[in-house]
Amino acid sequence: MGEAAVFFLHGLAYAGLLFLVSSGLTLVFGMMNVLNFAHASFYMLGAYFAYSILCFTGNFWLALVISPIILLAIGAFVERFLLRKVHVHGHVHELLLTFGLAYIIQEAVKLLWGTTPMAMPVAGFLAETVNLFGVVYPVYRLFIFCLSALLGLSMALVLFKTRIGIIVRAAVDDSPMVDALGINVPLVFMGVFAVGAALSGFAGVAAGPLLSVFPGMAGSILVDAFVVIVMGGMGSLGGAVLASFIIGELQSFGVLLFPDFSLALIYMLMALVLVLKPEGLFGEKQ
Amino acid sequence: MMASQKAMLHRVGIALALALLLIMPWLLGSYQLRLFTEAVIFSLYAVSYNMLLGYAGLLSFGHAMFFGWGAFSFAVTLNHFPGIPLMGAVMLAVASTTVMGLVVGVLLLRVKGTPFALLTLAFNALVFAIGIKWHSVTGGDDGLSIATPTLHLGFTDLVVSHGPNLYYFTLLIVGAAIAFAWYFTRTAMGQSVLLIRENEERMRFLGYNTHVSRLILFVLSGALAGLAGSFYAILNSFVSLDAVSIDMTTKVLLMTFIGGTGQFLGPVVGAFFFTYVQNFLSDLTDNWPLIMGALFIAMVLWVPGGLAGLAAKLSSGRKDEDPDGTLAGME
Repeated sequence: MGEAAVFFLHGLAYAGLLFLVSSGLTLVFGMMNVLNFAHASFYMLGAYFAYSILCFTGNFWLALVISPIILLAIGAFVERFLLRKVHVHGHVHELLLTFGLAYIIQEAVKLLWGTTPMAMPVAGFLAETVNLFGVVYPVYRLFIFCLSALLGLSMALVLFKTRIGIIVRAAVDDSPMVDALGINVPLVFMGVFAVGAALSGFAGVAAGPLLSVFPGMAGSILVDAFVVIVMGGMGSLGGAVLASFIIGELQSFGVLLFPDFSLALIYMLMALVLVLKPEGLFGEKQ
Repeated sequence: MMASQKAMLHRVGIALALALLLIMPWLLGSYQLRLFTEAVIFSLYAVSYNMLLGYAGLLSFGHAMFFGWGAFSFAVTLNHFPGIPLMGAVMLAVASTTVMGLVVGVLLLRVKGTPFALLTLAFNALVFAIGIKWHSVTGGDDGLSIATPTLHLGFTDLVVSHGPNLYYFTLLIVGAAIAFAWYFTRTAMGQSVLLIRENEERMRFLGYNTHVSRLILFVLSGALAGLAGSFYAILNSFVSLDAVSIDMTTKVLLMTFIGGTGQFLGPVVGAFFFTYVQNFLSDLTDNWPLIMGALFIAMVLWVPGGLAGLAAKLSSGRKDEDPDGTLAGME
């Protein structure tokens, strides 16, 4: 029983991380119809920036704030000066551009920080363990889950309860009309893309102490995040929550029950969803 | 007058190119010939990829699953059926890639556009995971080394694992496959795939079964990539997981796009360009992928027609009517 509880909590922590990554991805996709291949690379950059900040200042909380801000700037730059330029050529070129960016970031990270995995130690109460209903569990994994729950709630609040959220949702549905109403739609796009990048940077900082920081970290989460947004329905925040939970738990219990097939399990589930409901659990029919 | 002169020039050009290909072993040293052979193999890989990207408008991020599947089936066949003739092993590898393409295609072609792109990546990751985990068959991280059997010609046996013999063998089989791909794009079926990309709804009204047409193209593209994969295995006398990795997918994407998706020969240009530039850059710096990536982004931003599109634009002296470079086969 105790073991199952631990694996459930492991799954919850990974689900939290997956949601942090895929929420930004699905937000940008829902908004701009652009699947950002560089999203996981932003996540990796976030982790590396956090590592460097941690090296210089030793303050994890500072890294958690500054790293996403750097990513916000990078995201805004990429949208304004690269993505917007190829927009006229259509989606294939936008996809190719973000793919090329992911490739370059991958190589740049190897060049700047080397290829050895680096541990990112946290200090203070985050490094401790807590006794949870008789199970001794590390605080940090719970912290990741709380962080993503908090972030998910605030995203929902902003999207559904504020004026900015209304504008963003309206621009998704009918951007020419929103444009005609006097709202600067390109600016909204830039903002959403930048916030998406910042979100993945935030996820990267959170992932650093858990998974350590290494050049392969982008690739390993990218496919999982893609599976999440395909399963949840592309562009759906609620779908991302549910799919993150399913994938996180499946990953965790898969390792416990079928260590050899844990990877294949996820793809089989995805294939199943695809056959039964190609648009995903919460997706709209095309 | 002008037209017939142009056609004449065209024919002379093709004849010259073929003659040049035939005398390559006398012009190049053994290392250079090996590099040239590799470029020929990658040409087929890129041409097969462009059938999806350029002709059907399907952006795939998982083409290495076919390339790697072909390479591994070839190696596994050779290692498990000793005494099998070389062409038998190649054909088995292509057949197994065809079956795999059919299974994957039925699942993947249910979606289009971005979801398709993303699922191809996920399936590539799945095939890669199978490669790592199924250690007893694929050798896992160690890969498989192979001893390429001699080619029985009836009157003599040829060693085709290296040197000029490998080059001519590759040129014959891989060249024929490229020629077949070209021929296929000219047939009514190949052209219908183009038209489906342009206006699927209309093709369906005209009575075409667009799903079947797309599936046939997908399977053919996979089979050709599998053939390229098995020749890659012969060239290296070894198959590693590298052949089925996302890096191999990235490679074909860069080749095809740098070469140009708008012309049939674009990917061939791209394969040669990539192979030689990579060879040149990797002598200078370990960070050659960074330069290659920057080049790719520059192409996406400013030269969407690729090198072949650029060349066509310069030689015809007029504005390219196909600036997005995706109207392959419509020249």
